[in-house]
Amino acid sequence: MSGSKPDILWSPHHVDRYVICDSELSLYRIESVGNSEAKAGALRLSEETTATLLAINSDTPYMKCVAWYPKHEPECLLAVGQANGRIVLTSLGQSHNSKCKDLMGKEFVPKHARQCNTLAWNPVDSNWLAAGLDKHRADFSVLIWDISSKFTPDASVTTDKIRLSAGDTDAGLVVTKPLYELGQNDACLSLCWLPRDQKLLLAGMHRNLAIFDLRNTSQKMFVNTKAIQGVTVDPHFHDRVASFFEGQVAIWDLRKFEKPVLTLTEQPKPLTKVAWCPTRTGLLATLTRDSNIIRLYDMQHTPTPIGDETEPTIIERNVQPCENHIASFAWHPSSQNRMVVVTPNRSMTDFTVFERISLAWSSTGSLMWACGRHLYECTEERNASSVEKDISTKMRQRAQSRYGHDTEQVWRNYLLAGGDDPQLKSLWYTLYFMKRYTEDLEQKPLVNKLPLVYSGIKNIVKSSSGTVESWCCWNGSDRQADVIRYHSDERCLALQLCGWIKRGPEIDVEPFLQSLEAEREWERAAAVALFNLDIRRSIQILNKGASAEKGDLNLNVVAMALSGYTDEKNSLWREMCSSLRLQLNNPHLCVMFAFLTSEPGSYDGVLYESSMAVRDRVAFACMFLSDSQLPRYIEKLASEMKEAGNLEGILLTGLTKDGVDLMESYVDRTGDVQTASFCMLKGSPGEVVKDSRVQCWIENYRNLLDAWRFWHKRAEFDIHRSKLDPSSKPLAQVFVSCNFCGKSISYSCSAMPHQGRGFSQYGVSGSPTKSKVTSCPGCRKPLPRCALCLMNMGTPVSSCPGAGKSDEKVDLSKDKKLAQLNNWFTWCHNCRHGGHTGHMLSWFRDHTECPVSACTCKCMQLDTTGNLVPLDTV
Amino acid sequence: MDLHILDHRLRVTSICKDGLVNFTHSLIKLMFLRNRTRCKFFSLTETPDNYTVVLDEEGFKELPSSEHLQVEGATWLPLNVVSNGNASSSSQAVGVTKIAKSVIAPLAEQHVSVFMLSTYQTDFILVREKDLPVVIHTLEEEFKIYREEEGEPIPVHSKDMQNGFHKNGKEAVKLTVHPVLSPQNQFCVMSLDPDTLPAIATTLIDVLFYSNSSVKDEAPPTQGLDCIKFFSFSLIDGYISIVMDTETQRRFPTNLLFTSSSGELWRMVRIGGQPLGFDECGIVAQISQPLAEADISAYYISTFSFDHALVPEEDIGSVIAMLQQQRLEVVS
Repeated sequence: MSGSKPDILWSPHHVDRYVICDSELSLYRIESVGNSEAKAGALRLSEETTATLLAINSDTPYMKCVAWYPKHEPECLLAVGQANGRIVLTSLGQSHNSKCKDLMGKEFVPKHARQCNTLAWNPVDSNWLAAGLDKHRADFSVLIWDISSKFTPDASVTTDKIRLSAGDTDAGLVVTKPLYELGQNDACLSLCWLPRDQKLLLAGMHRNLAIFDLRNTSQKMFVNTKAIQGVTVDPHFHDRVASFFEGQVAIWDLRKFEKPVLTLTEQPKPLTKVAWCPTRTGLLATLTRDSNIIRLYDMQHTPTPIGDETEPTIIERNVQPCENHIASFAWHPSSQNRMVVVTPNRSMTDFTVFERISLAWSSTGSLMWACGRHLYECTEERNASSVEKDISTKMRQRAQSRYGHDTEQVWRNYLLAGGDDPQLKSLWYTLYFMKRYTEDLEQKPLVNKLPLVYSGIKNIVKSSSGTVESWCCWNGSDRQADVIRYHSDERCLALQLCGWIKRGPEIDVEPFLQSLEAEREWERAAAVALFNLDIRRSIQILNKGASAEKGDLNLNVVAMALSGYTDEKNSLWREMCSSLRLQLNNPHLCVMFAFLTSEPGSYDGVLYESSMAVRDRVAFACMFLSDSQLPRYIEKLASEMKEAGNLEGILLTGLTKDGVDLMESYVDRTGDVQTASFCMLKGSPGEVVKDSRVQCWIENYRNLLDAWRFWHKRAEFDIHRSKLDPSSKPLAQVFVSCNFCGKSISYSCSAMPHQGRGFSQYGVSGSPTKSKVTSCPGCRKPLPRCALCLMNMGTPVSSCPGAGKSDEKVDLSKDKKLAQLNNWFTWCHNCRHGGHTGHMLSWFRDHTECPVSACTCKCMQLDTTGNLVPLDTV
Repeated sequence: MDLHILDHRLRVTSICKDGLVNFTHSLIKLMFLRNRTRCKFFSLTETPDNYTVVLDEEGFKELPSSEHLQVEGATWLPLNVVSNGNASSSSQAVGVTKIAKSVIAPLAEQHVSVFMLSTYQTDFILVREKDLPVVIHTLEEEFKIYREEEGEPIPVHSKDMQNGFHKNGKEAVKLTVHPVLSPQNQFCVMSLDPDTLPAIATTLIDVLFYSNSSVKDEAPPTQGLDCIKFFSFSLIDGYISIVMDTETQRRFPTNLLFTSSSGELWRMVRIGGQPLGFDECGIVAQISQPLAEADISAYYISTFSFDHALVPEEDIGSVIAMLQQQRLEVVS
């Protein structure tokens, strides 16, 4: 000020008024553009707002600081602190109403003249005006004036050698006796009243911050610091204060006043103003000299009270309200995040700090974000199918339908997954066939082949030996076909894994064909029949398909074409079939003709028909490719599958490291950690499960279940997992030990079942069959009592729904269980009270405090997850 | 009570009356161009004998070396007593009087030479840097002592300063009681908003640098004179303090200079018949102790040659009488 830099003050009560003060005081009214479009002399502040100059007051020279009267009436009363320490009350644009008139022009004069640095009205007792002055060797630097007091030249004052000229004292306009004098022989640079009590005043003195308590002025609390300028209380958190020194802001907690709770990063230029946002908690705006940037510190996430050890996180942001350097700024008192900035040449800008957006994405895919005081929820406008199609939705549905948990009829998991994904179908059938084969082996003594079946066809055919070649005949005719078929144990095993043949030594595809017919896969059945050199069966199947309900009549046409088969090399049939087959839409029909028209030993038309199922192609290859061709083909196909992350390839790779590679690219492609986890758990518990990738999928899947609050599902998964991979079984995590002897209660029970006889002595009911551990099995001292039913722990819970008949039913399957969870011990880690889990749960459904009388512990609220309920059912 | 050792390293210099022209440039820079110099502590006192300039090392670099410049060899550190507000002494008196018993007398007993500089805002007690261990050791019972470094007060204790601690010579120095004289002119102690310093710059320059010419016309000042030429200007940590007589004050615009609302005026007691030098101890003590006993406020400004105390004009009679009495007691 004093002619140099303008400052800006918002009216505390009229949200559309503010004052700019430099060498004079100018009152402005801010309006939205719509209201004042045509008004002359309106200054544009932003796209929406303009300001109109209402009044100018240039009565008070040498202004150093200005403070606006905090009460509603009188409306525009300002206190001006001058360079010589005098404080003058003045007003702007007021019709001189009576109350205001008394105060207008009133002066408050310190004993020794020096600069007035700061002014602060008491927000409660608004007659009190605190002034901070520069240092004088014999005088006080903090003076609190009562603006309603009159100058009374009483005896005590005259002895103080007051030599005011007579003119000054007329009309009682000059006051020389302050209400309070504080801070002798010190300088005061900034002041603010503390909202905690109307008689507490915080002052930035020379080299220290002091809290003066007007109830006892001889005492003060102070802390030595450099950061003594611009003290200001957080309007939302009355113990938090900001002050600054040069480029550094210090944040203080008045309850822990010894040192700043934090200091903000130092800025290269000295600060000129620091202000808390009145409309939003924890937002501090700072301005440095010669800068066009206002730096904001967002202490939104600072835990309050501010912790001792943890460094609170603060988000720093810069905003640039205008191009020019900013002289000062002022937050709007009520409009959110809004401020007006003023430049040294008095141009003004109305500016709203855009609120940071915080975004939350739930585990179920709904998206919300918050901006300022608004909360937005994202809803998809398009059809919901894209959400349905999303893997997370699918996994969630599959988890609910217990996908992966059918360990007997493994293939059924494909149905649990929804039954519409051919890759999953292939995968689960593969796993099913593998399991079935393993079971067969278990019945036989041939155990040494156990790992082989899980290592996939790729490894099976590698180990192939003793292959028998045979020229085959068309089924039902003596005509020698022009093909060589290969046989070996391994190929036979591979065919089993492909599902073409049942277990057993004889190669019979008939059951497979019948199952395909039952599933109305006519073309595929026809193709499989043909590959088994049974044209007649193939034609029969096609006929059946054509005549079936909603059957495709074209199948008859294909059957006709098929029946014309000739092995003559240059026949018209061959020529037409090999070219026209490509126009057939169905891949199975297509490959049938490819097979019939191909040269012996080269079946690329069949083998590389990518739209045919991998298992069919592999089965075909196992029948018709030589020992040299087969591994090459399988190898090539497997690496293709691996590349594409196609689960059908698991048939080839098995649950080996190759399989994990394949699964990795599948997970990369789909994100389906659920299938990956379940599938890999089926693998041999040695290497595959230990693979870090597999562990990662499993952990992620568990986390996913937890995030969905599918805690029962997760527990179920853990049980499932520990069955297949015993190394993952967690160690016991909870032990209950006796208060008296310190021995574990549960341990003694399970280790010494014969002591069950002993329990009944102490048991409440006389039934010896239900063991009730109401006393420590070690020392026989009674266990603590439940805070609610007052029975010793170990007694069954009466209200437990599991008790009674149903209890007995489950007893058989869960015979290892000592008691239902409802009977189990529960206690609060904070207050140490507790009781039966069932009782506690029902208590805290309606209460927040501990059930023990006179204990005010809010046990359940201490548990952050205590009030969450699982979203799944057992 | 706290005692702050301020973060300034000061030199005490004297410019003889004739040599002032050589220093005009640097003095004007130090006084008026605050932003052009890093000097934070500057005091210029004109007496009939010379100009005493006390400034920190940054300021000292600005002074050209010249035969007209006399420099006291030591580095001096300013001490400042901070009352912290909760020491509610019944005494109304301020300035040197307040610290006479707690600081001045103990230091005199320990034979520490002090150089006093009172301003409108506060009183600085300058001690030699080499005496600091003694000072801390002597005063730490009475005061919490802080050393200001980079603006942060850091507590100090004598055990931190043990190395280099040696008691000053204990040999009984015969206490000289110096003659005092009291000129007739009335003085006022004033301050000024540094922003308005340019407004009085020409007057100040006139008073400081051209005062001799006007004096020449009048009768040359004699020892035991009625009026004394005394003017002091200091600019310390941004605060301005000016001491001048009422004659000089009339030359300044009335509304710019700050003083107390009671408009109090002061009379001077000059101590010493011969230049006092810097090694003698107890000079301030012998003035301030009687003042403290009588509870009379005082300013005290040491210069290169003599010491000057300012006391309220209504008390000058009793002060002179008291000091004369003291002198008689010692002599007898």
